[in-house]
Amino acid sequence: MTVTAPDRTNRLAITRAGGQLITDYWEKLFTARDEGKQIVWYNGGALNPIFQAAGVAWCHGEAFSARLAAQQMEGPAQLAGAEYGYSSELCSYSRTHLGCSVLTVQGEGDGSGVVGMHDQKELAARLPRPDFFVNNYAGCSTGQQWDEVSYRVFGKEVPIFNVSHPFLWGNKPDAGYLKGEEWDAASKYVADQLRELISWLEFQTGRPFDWDALSESMFYIKQAAELRREGLDLCKQKPAPATFWDWIASVAPINFLPGDQALVDYFAGVRDEIQGRIDTGVQAVEGEKYRIYFDGIMNWNKLGFLSRKFAEHGASVVAGRYIQNAFWQEPQLLNPSDPLLGMAQHYLLCPTNHGTRTLDHLTLKDCADYQVDGIAFHSTRTCRAFTGPQRLLAASAEKNLGIPSMFFEGDVADASFYKDEILESRLAAMLEVIDVRRERGSM
Amino acid sequence: MTVPAMERLVRAARDTRGYVAAWRAAHPDGKVLGVMPMNFPRELAHAAGLLPVIVPDDQEPVTEGRALLPEFYCGFTRNLADQVATGRLDLYDAVFMADHCIQLVGAADVARQLQPETPVFFGMLATSLSDAWAGQKVAEMMNTFREEVEALSGSKVTDESLRASIAAYNADRRALRQIFDERTAGSTAWAPTELQDLVASAMVMDPVEHLALLELARAEKVGQPRDERVRVHLSGHMCHAPRRELLQVIEDSGALVVDDDLWTGRRFLSTDVDEVLEPMEAIGHWYTSRNGNLPCPTRVQHDADWDTWLVESTERSGAEAVIHLMPKFCEPHMLLYPELRKRLDAEGIAQLLIETEHEGIPLEAFRTRVEALVERVLRKRPAYA
Repeated sequence: MTVTAPDRTNRLAITRAGGQLITDYWEKLFTARDEGKQIVWYNGGALNPIFQAAGVAWCHGEAFSARLAAQQMEGPAQLAGAEYGYSSELCSYSRTHLGCSVLTVQGEGDGSGVVGMHDQKELAARLPRPDFFVNNYAGCSTGQQWDEVSYRVFGKEVPIFNVSHPFLWGNKPDAGYLKGEEWDAASKYVADQLRELISWLEFQTGRPFDWDALSESMFYIKQAAELRREGLDLCKQKPAPATFWDWIASVAPINFLPGDQALVDYFAGVRDEIQGRIDTGVQAVEGEKYRIYFDGIMNWNKLGFLSRKFAEHGASVVAGRYIQNAFWQEPQLLNPSDPLLGMAQHYLLCPTNHGTRTLDHLTLKDCADYQVDGIAFHSTRTCRAFTGPQRLLAASAEKNLGIPSMFFEGDVADASFYKDEILESRLAAMLEVIDVRRERGSM
Repeated sequence: MTVPAMERLVRAARDTRGYVAAWRAAHPDGKVLGVMPMNFPRELAHAAGLLPVIVPDDQEPVTEGRALLPEFYCGFTRNLADQVATGRLDLYDAVFMADHCIQLVGAADVARQLQPETPVFFGMLATSLSDAWAGQKVAEMMNTFREEVEALSGSKVTDESLRASIAAYNADRRALRQIFDERTAGSTAWAPTELQDLVASAMVMDPVEHLALLELARAEKVGQPRDERVRVHLSGHMCHAPRRELLQVIEDSGALVVDDDLWTGRRFLSTDVDEVLEPMEAIGHWYTSRNGNLPCPTRVQHDADWDTWLVESTERSGAEAVIHLMPKFCEPHMLLYPELRKRLDAEGIAQLLIETEHEGIPLEAFRTRVEALVERVLRKRPAYA
């Protein structure tokens, strides 16, 4: 007989409102062609304020793949990709998205292919064909190559623009997080390319770019980012009033929704609900016993499942690299009246675009700030960018903070790589280690 | 007793540590620079008096390195992590890298964290080569490389010394390329493993020394015309060598390798540095033109098509089939492979995908698959009267 453990999660109610904003955004995108809008497919950093100001509809490739995975709808796109020749070991974001490209191209042809007509309609017809691509990928070399291949799948007929990002390796002695000669030079280089991108968009749309609209959008995004940061800081409270999973549910709004008052209102709501929980003593995980840091890109197939799984053990996942160190996370860098430099800097601050030295600094700081007891590393099978430094980060956390860690297998958008028993046994083992160390007084 | 030239080249190719030790003995004040593939201009380091050695996959099994990078990193990068973990990477005074492959970055980061006394410099060359500003950014990075090798060696890179290094590497590349061109034209003097050793040794040795040995080795070779085996082109393995035993199995299975675009083959030799241009300009031009001469899926360049290059290459060599050698987990290759397959299918060129691993490759399974490919091609050949 299967015994279902009681759900000990207490998720933020406001995220439902966020869910509605996201649904509305996608519906608008799916009907953008009918409204005469041009459509851009893009990947990497959040260029949406530029697209918003340019008056085009935008589809973020990773976000679309994540959406399909979260809705358990990634299968047909991945099947189409596999039939076309993409290996299952390829980044599942790109594989899913390229599968959509293949379906789109097939849909314009004879409709042949391994994916049935119903699914083709569901995926390809709803995701409108791009009028152009923009790549804005920092950190992972695969990101830039992925869009180049999309360009080729569409027969080189869809214009493409690449924004290149230097990897923040930190060669110079003055290099560090948000500082040093390399940081300054890289910031300027990317900002210069954004100016080029805007000229290119003017050519593609046949309209002058609306700089005031960009400033307005960034005005709202800066406010939303500040509210988000305030909310994140509130989660340092013990026990945690909200978890990493609540913030995961708020990734889409901060990552690609339009910069407007609704976005600000949403993050004000998030912050206020968290503050209200602190004021009234409401916990995010019933009986919080352990505080865990999550390193790894999200496993979108298992979002709700993982939040319950950790909570079953009294483990409150309080922070993670994908949240604390991503998505307009340094709003003080943003200047709405002259926005490009701060935007460029955030694209460079992608959490996979740092050498291990900087990541180690950020991880240790987060673990200390959030009073973390252990780290769960999501060994994300097809994401080499996130997983590369994980072993080094685990060793450093143990050495410098005495924090144990565990690894579990999964993936961003391919459920087949997730092994539940491995997570269960390794999580239990790490929590036991924490218990033993507490008993010995070493934690 | 004098060691034959070919044997010396083979030793350098297969025993980097041994060659470096001998070089250090002969140059007690000299420094050795480990160069990560694929595009760092060794000419700059050589002109500064360094010995630039392209760090190879040393074909040793991965042991302690398993704990440093995930198992789904490519075999080469896991091997590099293992070289760090077991002290095998300590033969370099510094490591330089110019290429942004996220898995290679991961391996280099392991080196930097575990060997903090060894400088690991990463200067990322522009990868989006269709951009109007790419040439300028490449030139800036080449100047940075120049400053860094000067700082490491303590010697200035003068235009004169750089011209001499460019000429030396060009001469070695030309001689190697000539051998590959002879194979394309019909010679079977060299087995694929021998050619791999010739190129791999060039990645390790001083170019003047390498060229001298190469000329001696060539003089000892007698050309042989092609036989009736099925002519194949080997494609892939863009940053490290395929296992030698795999190359042997391919030729043992009724195939004859007539051309390639491997890292330890034509890819490495594709482009000389222009000796007419100003030397720093020429170094930048070398990098930006390499991808046009032999396209690589790690670069983004809209008018450079590996599939077209492959088709034209098979026309030049008379290859009847293409064998794709794809290192497991190599994302650039995984991404572009369907485009290659589609184009070759359209051209009616037989092909076979072999996914390679660092160790534990199923040779007998590969043999069966290559034999099947050979059979397929033979059936397409016109029947003899």
